[in-house]
Amino acid sequence: MSEAASTSCVVRSGQPDYRRRARLARFGRAVSIFLGSLVLLAYVLAPVAWLVSSSLQTEKEIVSVPPHWIPEEPTARNFQAIFSAGEEQVTYETRKTTDASSGGYIPPTAKNLLPAMRNSFLVATIVVILNLLVGTPAAYAMSKIRYWGRDASMYFLLMTRVVPDIALVVPFFLVIRKLGLLDSIWSLVITYLAVTVPFTVFILLQYFDGLPDELDKAARVDGCSRFQALTKVFLPLAMPSLVAVVLFAFLTSWNEFLFALMFTQTVHSQTLPILVASFTSDFTISFSFINAAGVVAIVPPIIVAVVFERHIVSGLTAGAVKG
Amino acid sequence: MASITFKNVNKRYAGGTLAVDNLNLSIADKEFVVLLGPSGCGKSTTLNMLAGLEEVTEGELRFDKELVNHTPPHRRDVAMVFQSYALYPHKSVYENIAFSLRMRNYKAQEIDRRVRDAAARLEIAHLLDRRPSQLSGGQRQRVALGRAMVRRPAVFLMDEPLSNLDAALRVSMRAEIKELHRTMATTFVYVTHDQAEALTLADRIVVMRHGVVQQVGTPDEIYERPANTFVASFLGSPPINYLDGTIAAADGGMQFQRGEVRLTFAPHAAERLAASAGRQVRLGIRSEDVDGRSQPPRGASLSGQVTSVLPVGSDQFLGMRVEGAEMFFRVGKDVRHAEGETIALTVDVNRLHVFDAESGANLIW
Repeated sequence: MSEAASTSCVVRSGQPDYRRRARLARFGRAVSIFLGSLVLLAYVLAPVAWLVSSSLQTEKEIVSVPPHWIPEEPTARNFQAIFSAGEEQVTYETRKTTDASSGGYIPPTAKNLLPAMRNSFLVATIVVILNLLVGTPAAYAMSKIRYWGRDASMYFLLMTRVVPDIALVVPFFLVIRKLGLLDSIWSLVITYLAVTVPFTVFILLQYFDGLPDELDKAARVDGCSRFQALTKVFLPLAMPSLVAVVLFAFLTSWNEFLFALMFTQTVHSQTLPILVASFTSDFTISFSFINAAGVVAIVPPIIVAVVFERHIVSGLTAGAVKG
Repeated sequence: MASITFKNVNKRYAGGTLAVDNLNLSIADKEFVVLLGPSGCGKSTTLNMLAGLEEVTEGELRFDKELVNHTPPHRRDVAMVFQSYALYPHKSVYENIAFSLRMRNYKAQEIDRRVRDAAARLEIAHLLDRRPSQLSGGQRQRVALGRAMVRRPAVFLMDEPLSNLDAALRVSMRAEIKELHRTMATTFVYVTHDQAEALTLADRIVVMRHGVVQQVGTPDEIYERPANTFVASFLGSPPINYLDGTIAAADGGMQFQRGEVRLTFAPHAAERLAASAGRQVRLGIRSEDVDGRSQPPRGASLSGQVTSVLPVGSDQFLGMRVEGAEMFFRVGKDVRHAEGETIALTVDVNRLHVFDAESGANLIW
């Protein structure tokens, strides 16, 4: 045994040096966590990186083998095409320039990209707002008010989540047609609400259940009506859950494909996923253009996430000061 | 400033449980009433009905002359302090106290004055900017009191407000609550399962069990003249001792008999028990109503084997087996006892309690 070891701590000969072992174990743990997160990060970010990178490449460069992760000749042409798609007239003479083989193919529906984005954004925003308006009072009531059938309503709500969307398409379609809402963004708002509200109520219910009933009683004795108890005491405390709800409802609406495919027909109501899917035609496909559209499509959700990220943090600390 | 009247009040929960059974109770203006009982006895439910947080299923609840059965809590002039304090975690201490005033649209100046007044009185003025999470349990309790105080409510409700505090703090806060009641001069209704709190604070105690009021009275009445074995057992530490036996006429008076034990009742009790000769009864002896120093006289002697000796500083607790029954007495420290020793204690026969063996009802008072 070395002299240094025997003086630094009480280590009898023949006994393992536990302090050194603990230090090694800590180091090993740190390294494995670091490597693990690197792998995870690569797994999550690689597709996004490829999307962004390829959106800046020409068609030729995209299909080259091996792939270029960093574009050799970056071009903004794909993005230009998005914003000027409506203006490019394809005539007999110019058809060659838009041929897929030339690398300059622009799908005929490309000009609908921005309107579709507006539709997506409108639908998602309305769904978020209605989710909050309907979900928070419902969750508060189910959590803090004892009424006949409370448990039953909870199970009923959860039951709606076990029905797969595909099973709902036909009934929904019939209802939407009866309402005369086909090819209107309201058809999407209604159906997305049906899908998201139960989940919203469920998330908020969990959170409200975690807040003591006495807080509700205190608020009401202090002079709040039921509604004021909700807005003045419970909502400020539920910030993190509200943010989760906002993100969930927004992203669900933004990404939804099946219902949108069924209920929308024209540029009036088509959302982004439907439009991007339409870029893949029977005969040809422009990866560079689809990828540019993809980049544009992920920008709004990222902005929403960044905006609310700060509230997630502040909301979490507010929740931590439980009395 | 309000008196409170419960008239034939029932509370039945959605599940069918009868939480409060035919409650009749009048609480005078500025009175300090303590609702006492084990958990699940309906005392908190009663308080919640007072606050308007629970609906009255049947009967009438009046503040002064006004029927308030259906008045929502924010329209009643009540303030409440909770066991868990229930402070708003997202608000500062100042805002916590000010909240009820803001909800009632007081002027900012008036709010500020009242909040600072209350804070000064509760000695929490230096904490006004803090969040509840930064306070100790005792400080949170003070904030909760302040929040209820600033309103100057007609009725002040407290639901086990001291249960979450440590023992030493509990005793000092008791004194402060008593002082608060004196200075605020308003009606207090206080719920607790702690007999010591009830005895120190109350003008009157209401003992409840299974939703039924067992006895209403001053602390002395409740302690000295318990209506039944439940009330007798619930108050007193160590708890009252029981010995089952029979009443018999002997020596020109009435006597309690069980095996070798013969206890002659004092004249006032003998009078009440005159017709009860031969009756099966349960005798109650409070732990402090014995004396171990003198030679017991005839008819007031209780002898048995010492099973345990527990010194508690000021005096000592003595475990004794008397006629097969385990008993606990509080005796002075000047006499030393050893386990296994057989001793005789003098019983204060003026303070014996006699209950019916079956119903448990007090036969003397």
